[in-house]
Amino acid sequence: MVAAAGMVLAFGANLVSPRGLALTRNYFPAGISRPVPVARDVTNTNPPASSPAQLLAVRLKEQGLQSVDGRQAAQLFHDPRFTQGSIAFIDARDEQHYREGHIPGACEFDPYYPEKYFAAVLPVCQAAEKIVVYCNGGDCDDSESAAILLRDVGITNQKLFVYTGGIPEWITNGLPVEIGGRNSGNLRSTNK
Amino acid sequence: MNASQSSWNRIAADAFAVLARWLLGAVFLYLGLNKALHPVEFLKLVRQYDLVQSSLLLNSIAAALPWFEIFCGLLLLAGVAVRGTAVMLIVMLVPFTVLVFRRALAIQSALAIPFCAVKFDCGCGNGEVFICRKLLENFLFILFSVWLLAGYGRNLCVRHSLMSCAAKTSLTEEGGSNGSI
Repeated sequence: MVAAAGMVLAFGANLVSPRGLALTRNYFPAGISRPVPVARDVTNTNPPASSPAQLLAVRLKEQGLQSVDGRQAAQLFHDPRFTQGSIAFIDARDEQHYREGHIPGACEFDPYYPEKYFAAVLPVCQAAEKIVVYCNGGDCDDSESAAILLRDVGITNQKLFVYTGGIPEWITNGLPVEIGGRNSGNLRSTNK
Repeated sequence: MNASQSSWNRIAADAFAVLARWLLGAVFLYLGLNKALHPVEFLKLVRQYDLVQSSLLLNSIAAALPWFEIFCGLLLLAGVAVRGTAVMLIVMLVPFTVLVFRRALAIQSALAIPFCAVKFDCGCGNGEVFICRKLLENFLFILFSVWLLAGYGRNLCVRHSLMSCAAKTSLTEEGGSNGSI
């Protein structure tokens, strides 16, 4: 009886909660399974053959998506076409993390609530020739999910690039971040 | 003397059982709220256990579990259907502890570190925790739940047992009406 009442109330609460999950949506279009961690050989100083970045690169290839590294992402950021709108950066993290600091000029696009962002993001993506999607690097695959969602609404694969290092690598490389909303002008230097 | 001592022991055990019930209720309420307020984060953590391959099932687990914990927490705090709730807690805690243990073993093997040095966010609702502490915590919660299931913690309950209360009430009413005849 407790189980039955609890389940009814639990699903009801999820239904009415503004943060509730949509039960039928696939939140992980790149696949639900997570890669199992591989045992590390402690005598080997080289990075493991299946590091998160390498696994992500393999998955991106399977999805027909392209990846960019930190150097390429910085080049695209400094490219004059970025200010003209031909290159776009898409931040696939949640609102809180976006506001705490994102690549200057990047659009916010949380892939778990895409309907909230499509109206603002789609025109930017349609106008761009290259779209760089990023999240938290490492084993974060939200950028991959965001790229797939954008592809599903008509953005071609050729335009989409996933920045595998994400915002932690961007900051480590000493590149600037923007605090608050898009084009707020509130830039913070991360130079060390 | 012996009777008085055993009476004191019983009172102490009852008081401790009520405290354990309130503690369990408060913990489940707190952990459930933490997850219910951040459902996407919880969904990602549930996914890491590789339990199911269907998005519908995965979403259902992540959507319902936090609210179910809140429900159980409230029942324990109020003292409603305590034994049934204790069964639910055991049903949730035992498999979850096994899953957390298995995941910790996988992390230990991947990182080649001592077992108790394994620290990760198990989706329990209180962020990253050391595995040994988490296992000890869960063991205590299971123990408290078994204790409540055994019938302790009846004091200060709104309605300790839904079924037996209803049965008792109807019997009393029946007896009362018989008596009046």
